[in-house]
Amino acid sequence: MSDPQSTHSNDTSTTHFGFKQVEKNQKASLVAEVFDSVAAKYDVMNDLMSMGVHRLWKRYTIDCAGVRPGNQVLDIAGGTGDLTAKFSRLVGPTGKVTLADINLSMLKVGRDKLRDRGLVGNIDYVQADAEALPFPDNTFDVVTMAFGLRNVTEKQNALDSIYRVLKPGGRLLVLEFSKPTSEQLSKLYDMYSFHILPKMGQLVANDAESYQYLAESIRMHPDQDTLKGMFEQAGFDQCDYQNLTGGIVALHRGYKF
Amino acid sequence: MPSSALFSAAIEQAINRLLSLDSDSKVRQSRLNGMRLYLFIDPLPNAICLVFSTQVDVLTEYDDHDDVVAKLDDKSCCIQTRLSTLPSLKDTNQLTRLIQQGELTVDGALSVAQQVSGLFQHLDIDIEEIIATNTNDVFAHSLVSAAKTVSEKVRKGSQVASRVLGNALVEEKQLAAHRLAVMHFSDNVNALRDDVARLESRLNKLESFRTKS
Repeated sequence: MSDPQSTHSNDTSTTHFGFKQVEKNQKASLVAEVFDSVAAKYDVMNDLMSMGVHRLWKRYTIDCAGVRPGNQVLDIAGGTGDLTAKFSRLVGPTGKVTLADINLSMLKVGRDKLRDRGLVGNIDYVQADAEALPFPDNTFDVVTMAFGLRNVTEKQNALDSIYRVLKPGGRLLVLEFSKPTSEQLSKLYDMYSFHILPKMGQLVANDAESYQYLAESIRMHPDQDTLKGMFEQAGFDQCDYQNLTGGIVALHRGYKF
Repeated sequence: MPSSALFSAAIEQAINRLLSLDSDSKVRQSRLNGMRLYLFIDPLPNAICLVFSTQVDVLTEYDDHDDVVAKLDDKSCCIQTRLSTLPSLKDTNQLTRLIQQGELTVDGALSVAQQVSGLFQHLDIDIEEIIATNTNDVFAHSLVSAAKTVSEKVRKGSQVASRVLGNALVEEKQLAAHRLAVMHFSDNVNALRDDVARLESRLNKLESFRTKS
């Protein structure tokens, strides 16, 4: 099990930022600096780093979301709007998708991208902290968070907040990097993350540090079972997870009844 | 997971690419806005769902057939069939027969299935125009004309070859029976079958008389 500080750190004054320990109130701004730096090249780097597989992980998340016409969907840490674009078409004109991200740079990139694709009318853009979502209780049918939870300072607070804004019967899907299930894959993945990834970041985005942080933050993120436990602690029912690509990524699901 | 996601992504890409090649399909597609078509195709492991809006989104459906049917509304339709039956669906006159034979199950709004069928059946793709956009008019016209000529020649050639082969087998080598001889043989077999049936009937009658007496 990993990183007790990230899961139950309300009683401590520091938290992790990658492998470093920082003051809790500093983490959000440090994460913001990372995403301000990578926002413009975010999509290119995602394709390059995952060799396009991130699109399949996201597609699987959308398939599992079970979004219906007329649904209210919240895409937290929606970044450049990959999930929101599809949700916008699936909910139709009677539904609504809210793209929320704490980082304004990412939100702007996402908004411009979606508007350029002609996706307007049923999408709201909200700059919001996942730990304190600015929405009334029982608002959304589906909440998704793809590759965002590990950057949140108090992950449990974020899950509690999501539980509050979900309607009874609603579901949460969290797609996040996790722990590879095989030892060999884990070694290969470590080599790739710590040696190749920062060099790619330097080459393409001229920013090795942000991609070093990415690799470190993945290692500090709770493993599959710990995160499932956090879902249950927040009050979610029927919690489960599915490992994707050998556990490099996991999709966690939970329902509010 | 990645294989099913890859499969649905490939189908989505192919469908949208195909529709984009016919500008008139936009009008037909707009009539389907907000509609969903679920397809359960045996032996594919998962069903797929086509969601129509400004484009066609293809989702992998992980619920089973009964669960999908339970959540159908007036804008969605569910079709269950076999992969081998798919080509027959082009002919709408065959639908009733296929449903009666249990080859095809349709639940929900049939109009959705009909409109989707119309969307693809009325595709009018000008291949020459598409090639011309990437090359030039003369090259495109020459290429398409050449392809048509070759295809026509191949068709005629195969007809001639089949005729020649038939003649060689029947007339020259006499390895196969002549068509008239086959028909004559079939008539004789039918006549013999009728005779046997009559004889059987008489025997049955005689047998019943014998048991009564």
